[in-house]
Amino acid sequence: MNVIRDVWQSIVRRDPLSTDKGKSELVFLNLWLHIHPAKVKKEHLKIKHTWYLGFITFFLFLILVTTGVALMCYYRPQSPQAYQDMKDLQFVVFLGRFLRNMHRWSAHGMVVCVFLHMCRVFYTGSYKKPRQFNWVVGVFLFLLTLGLSFTGYLLPWDQLAFWAITVGTNIGSYAPLVGKQLRELLLGGHSVGESALLRFYVLHVAVLPSAVILLTMVHFWRVRKDGGLSRPVWKLKQDQAEALVTIGVPGDAPALTVTTAAKDKTYGLMEVVTGKPIFETVTAEEEEDVVFSYPYAFFREAVALMATVTTIMALSLVWSAPLEELANPAKTPNPAKAPWYFLGLQELVSHSALLGGVVAPALMVLALMAVPYFDTNPSRRPADRKWAIRVFTIFVAINIVLIIVGTFFRGPGWALVPPWVHIVAGAE
Amino acid sequence: MKRRSFLSWGAAGFVTLWSAVGVSLAAVVRFLTPSVFYEPPQAFKIGNPADFPFGPPTFLADEKIYVFRERDKGFAVASAVCTHLGCTVAYFPSDQKFHCPCHGSVFVSDGSVQHGPAPRGLEWFEVTLARDGQLNVDKEKVVPPAYRLMV
Repeated sequence: MNVIRDVWQSIVRRDPLSTDKGKSELVFLNLWLHIHPAKVKKEHLKIKHTWYLGFITFFLFLILVTTGVALMCYYRPQSPQAYQDMKDLQFVVFLGRFLRNMHRWSAHGMVVCVFLHMCRVFYTGSYKKPRQFNWVVGVFLFLLTLGLSFTGYLLPWDQLAFWAITVGTNIGSYAPLVGKQLRELLLGGHSVGESALLRFYVLHVAVLPSAVILLTMVHFWRVRKDGGLSRPVWKLKQDQAEALVTIGVPGDAPALTVTTAAKDKTYGLMEVVTGKPIFETVTAEEEEDVVFSYPYAFFREAVALMATVTTIMALSLVWSAPLEELANPAKTPNPAKAPWYFLGLQELVSHSALLGGVVAPALMVLALMAVPYFDTNPSRRPADRKWAIRVFTIFVAINIVLIIVGTFFRGPGWALVPPWVHIVAGAE
Repeated sequence: MKRRSFLSWGAAGFVTLWSAVGVSLAAVVRFLTPSVFYEPPQAFKIGNPADFPFGPPTFLADEKIYVFRERDKGFAVASAVCTHLGCTVAYFPSDQKFHCPCHGSVFVSDGSVQHGPAPRGLEWFEVTLARDGQLNVDKEKVVPPAYRLMV
């Protein structure tokens, strides 16, 4: 029995979890857990604060990687094999349809959750100093998520895929100067064909996921380094607000005093540096508001993980990912629509290709990135930032309305139709 | 080392380093630009003139072109690719216009835009008579809409 205990000890190398030391060591002696703080503020665990959207997005990404690798075992990025492999996955491969469904619904879910996460961060003012840069990293992660969805869209090589990508890459070709070359590089040719399929595949399974993983690491790291999660807005009382936005120790704080260490001390202090910390500091009175990450934070994260996986599995049992007929370059379906998250863009493009397809989206992305540097109002309380909230809400509303119009109110020839047309057409 | 030589060597090193980076980036872009396109040829034969009827244009799906044949004017070949976002336009004999399914662009029979988001009219391609008597279309050669081949 001692052998088993010794082996276990050699792996975990920590005190029992019944002790405070063990609870701390569980976090900081473990490569995978040490991105957490050993202790978290109770208020950060509240669902209402973050809705766990960042976690859910990350968990969806984990599902996507797992199911994606599984699907790769049965997929060949060639025409027409790619489409045949889809049919195999649907009808022949054990669990093939289920895994494909999970992959598709997680992908859609990730686009939604990244967007909602961005909204949460905006409305709680969590992009403000010192977290400006992490917001920018987040915007890049949002763009990468869209890129992954877009490249994944082509892979089934059905009519939907083919024409969505034809329309999508043509939108890109309106970019001034480099548009045409960019499209040619992306497609590896002049039209959506075999080389485009191969390139999208490489982007989808290697290039973009690697970029997402790297940036996610930076994103998580910076959450910690920028002072952990921001405090819930409802906690920010009028008198506290001022103190909280003052970063670091006040300038008139007493100098550090040196005390002699006790004889039995078991820790060592490596270095003392002067200067203000860039993150929000925990004051002594806040100390009682914190709990150990184990088990409180980990339990909640595990629940979020299981809820995410269960939801995706349930959706995948009920609804199948669509697969249309084999891609036919000679016949454009009417209407030919881009994936839903690009339908707002397509709606804009239907009015003006250059303005709607290039200028407006580019300005939107630049505006998003500039948000934390442009909005220098230090207060995070909604009452102090009415205009920021109004402008952002209008931005969100415009995007949602455009997507709804593109999805439900556009029929054959991109003519305006009442939304129930799609239900009737779908029933045929 | 003297200050002057340190600076000049430093500058030379700096320039060399960044040139190498620039050249490498250019090489990556060039690498990603295919040298060979395994795509259908842009110039091809579409058959004998007698194969094409008078009246509404004939649609060739694989080539994405419309072949017009008019009794006293001759042959003309229009692109079926919408200039907006690359969808394939459909010709309706009823109103003698091209309609794009994607964003509703409408082109009149000479290819010019009637309405919709299309920035330019449909392209017209050069059509010639090959030695074997077949019609030859070259998509690389764009011609004005008035271009006709009399056979």
